[in-house]
Amino acid sequence: MSRWARPARPVAPIFVAVVIVALWWLVAHNGGSGWVQFLGDLVFGALCIGVLGPWLVVTRARLTVRGAPSDGVAGLPVDIRVDAGSRLRIRPVDPPGDEVFVGPARQKGAVDDRVTVVPVRRGVRDTVTVDIASAAPFALQWWTRRVQLPLPSTLHVSPRRGRPRPPSTSPQEDVGEVRQQPRTDMGLPRGARRYVPGDSRRIVHWRATAHAGKLMVRELEQPSAGPVTITVDLPDDPEEAERVAEGVLGTVAQLLDTGAPVLLGTLEPSGPVLAPVTDRLGAGRRLARAVARRADAAAP
Amino acid sequence: MRALDAIRRANLPGPPEDSVRLRVACLATVLASIAACASVGEVSRLTAGVAMVLVAAGTVFSHRTRVQPPGWAKVMVAAAAIAAFAWFFHSLTSADVITTIDAPLSLLLTSVLVVHSFHVPSRRDLLFSLAASAGLMAVAGAQAIDLRFGLYVVAWVCFGLWGLTEMWTSSSGGGRMSVAGLVCALAAMSAAAAAIFVVLPAPVVASRVSFVTQAGAGGPVGVAGALAGDSGSPAQLSRSGSPSSRIRVGGYLGFAGSLNTALRGSLATTLVMQVRAQRPSYWVGETFDTWNGQSWTEPQESSRPLRESSPFVLPVPVGAVPVGQADLQTFYVAGATADLVFHAESADELWFPTSRVFYSDDGTIVSPIGLGSGSIYTVESQVNAPTPAQLRSDANEQTLSPGTLEEYGQLPHPYPRVQALARSITAGDTTTYDKVQSLIGWIGAHTHYSLDIPPLPAGADTVDEFLFGNRVGFCEQISTSLAVMLRSLGIPAREAVGYVPGGYDPITDLWQVHADDAHAWVQVWFPGYGWQNFDPTAVVPPSNPSPGATALKDVAGALRRVPWVEVVVVLAGAGLVVLAVRRRRARPATWAARVARDTERAGRRAGRPRRPAETLVEYAASLDALAGTGSTWGRLASSVEASAYGGREPPPEAQRAMVAEARSSRVRRPAGAGVSAGG
Repeated sequence: MSRWARPARPVAPIFVAVVIVALWWLVAHNGGSGWVQFLGDLVFGALCIGVLGPWLVVTRARLTVRGAPSDGVAGLPVDIRVDAGSRLRIRPVDPPGDEVFVGPARQKGAVDDRVTVVPVRRGVRDTVTVDIASAAPFALQWWTRRVQLPLPSTLHVSPRRGRPRPPSTSPQEDVGEVRQQPRTDMGLPRGARRYVPGDSRRIVHWRATAHAGKLMVRELEQPSAGPVTITVDLPDDPEEAERVAEGVLGTVAQLLDTGAPVLLGTLEPSGPVLAPVTDRLGAGRRLARAVARRADAAAP
Repeated sequence: MRALDAIRRANLPGPPEDSVRLRVACLATVLASIAACASVGEVSRLTAGVAMVLVAAGTVFSHRTRVQPPGWAKVMVAAAAIAAFAWFFHSLTSADVITTIDAPLSLLLTSVLVVHSFHVPSRRDLLFSLAASAGLMAVAGAQAIDLRFGLYVVAWVCFGLWGLTEMWTSSSGGGRMSVAGLVCALAAMSAAAAAIFVVLPAPVVASRVSFVTQAGAGGPVGVAGALAGDSGSPAQLSRSGSPSSRIRVGGYLGFAGSLNTALRGSLATTLVMQVRAQRPSYWVGETFDTWNGQSWTEPQESSRPLRESSPFVLPVPVGAVPVGQADLQTFYVAGATADLVFHAESADELWFPTSRVFYSDDGTIVSPIGLGSGSIYTVESQVNAPTPAQLRSDANEQTLSPGTLEEYGQLPHPYPRVQALARSITAGDTTTYDKVQSLIGWIGAHTHYSLDIPPLPAGADTVDEFLFGNRVGFCEQISTSLAVMLRSLGIPAREAVGYVPGGYDPITDLWQVHADDAHAWVQVWFPGYGWQNFDPTAVVPPSNPSPGATALKDVAGALRRVPWVEVVVVLAGAGLVVLAVRRRRARPATWAARVARDTERAGRRAGRPRRPAETLVEYAASLDALAGTGSTWGRLASSVEASAYGGREPPPEAQRAMVAEARSSRVRRPAGAGVSAGG
């Protein structure tokens, strides 16, 4: 991000200001009139502040995000609240959004603080990039600067809910893979029982084990239907990956609507994750974090 | 194509400007510039008044039609603008450009402002109005010669800055600039303006384009070509500060056919004239060549009329060397003055508001009309300013005729003591310049300056009395003594009278010459460089000053110089600002605080102040009981506490209603209740 402000438009206004002052001074100096030169000095001062004042305002602007939601949906507006010490024009760049003014408003005590961004794709965002601009105090010249604003909490942009894909039992299908596979470590807790060989380590009930002095495990009541495992394998192409993620979200949402437990397998920056999702928000967050599998790290 | 696109983009109409404040600010700025133009006479008051009314009407029309300006308005504006420019160029080409460029330019800009005000739909158009008003201010400023124009400048700057800040408010979607930010911006603007004001050199008249001449309010003189002082009695002293008679202008008696060193008027402090010049000089009025022991006189028979039109080409004065740097000076006469045409060194061209002037061989120029307030004339002089080394090495052959040399070496009697003194002082000097400097040094070391000297005894010689008497005198005694000592050594010298440069005003770029700047000094002739000014008075110390009298005089002078009206206005303004700020700070910030304050105020008025441990609700209940107002105060107090401690804010309308109710409610003091009710 640039540290210094730059003219919002080409330097024509600055050039024009310099030419005006130079001509004025030439006329005043050669005309021998002190008042004309004095007026020219005042005009010079006003032009100086009008042209360079916004540079100072933009360079020293303090802009922080006060509040932002943790979740959003690609293509839908997300409102964030900002604190600005002075009146600024803000144009969100990444994610994009409409140009707005923030900062103190004319009515006493009134402050404009809402900036709306519209994420184009799913993803996880810790910052937003905006162009801030000002022409204070005389509106003679706009200066702008691009800044990256850290968000108070991570913004998970889930994909849009796409058309659900029909479940398939074929493990060879690449996209939206759905497998029926009973899991012993899923179900509703009912009590504790002695460990028997074959039980998963995941269901060891450590507190009961400590209490009984023997290895105890949770006794689970198996759901009526086994969990549905969906493995997401995103392609490299962002557009295609977005389309796949939308389809997966649609499928997961439909499954969740029917009450079926869902295991979602994704590849995240930290590695592959296979975990249940219980609602659409969780699924959206998982898909927001999902990344494409790199070509040099293809699955075995 | 890019240029065409740029022009097309620039001509695209901007969005309509809805801010009434911005329009009012721009209107005020334009009106201030038109008023400033009228104040210096660039446009007549009638024209300015009509223009102001039309601009105001045009602004209202533009605001009402801002969304969809009628097409005919744009056509009318374009046609009127073209007509104004056509008239302007016709005026320039058909008249004398030298003297008529200012008035057509101011009329052109005023016309443009009037015409443009009928088609100002967008913010960009309003900015053009501000820029055009700046041009009009510049044209007016070119003719302004005093600080009164500053009032218009202040008004124009204030309105212009208001317009610019409103422009920012409008373009930022209704933003508000903090008071601190505004103060910082104004301070920075002032600093930038002050910096450029300090850095830039003073303006000079670099070209002979526009020299205004004006007769002013001097009126006719009794005898054309004669000095006005001649018609008065030398014994008649003018009254200080009351130059009602042009005979003894400003109290100085030297601007006449003779300079009597035995008399001295009380000099006034009034402004005599303002001078725009490329460099400061002694403004010479006339010179004297004949000394009779008490008075200097000039030969009147050498004065002859020059019948020309401006510029008058003046002959080279006797003894002058017509080489040097051209120096233009414009004199703005502020009050009645002598009918002498003042100038720097030897004048060679003159722009004067008459068809003739009277000219003497010594370079003295006499006006055929009285010069009063409003008179303006311009002189071009040849300034020959050699260095001391050049004067010392001056070895040119003499160019003065023997008769002239005798004239400028004339003495009424031999002055043996003076001659002996001069010779003893200059015994070791070989050049004229060194002799002059030695004599000046001796005068500085052995004489004192005072305006209060005893009267010259009858028949006494001024120079003998000064050099061998009490050695106290003022410029006339001091300079006369130097001239006589030089003449006793055979060096041609003469007495010159006029004004010192005066104080420089950096705003107007004018030298302010007052009546008490009248002065006398010596001109010494050098063969290669002509007449050179020497002022021995400058090195003479004051005589034994009285601390008390001097202090009183200084205080009185300082008090006279204080611009009381401006000081009172500034102090009153500052006081109002302080009061407003204090009132604003003392004002409660929230509606709840306002209601609580009004509750306590009402109670105090009824003699029932709030006790320290009393809650507002308890206090309000007691007020209700005291005044029999039902539950008015209790209800208000409950709302205040609910807001302050419960976080339940009523809607804004209800807040305003409660504030109004608290302000309008009064607690009537029941009979028998006293201050003691407050515990």
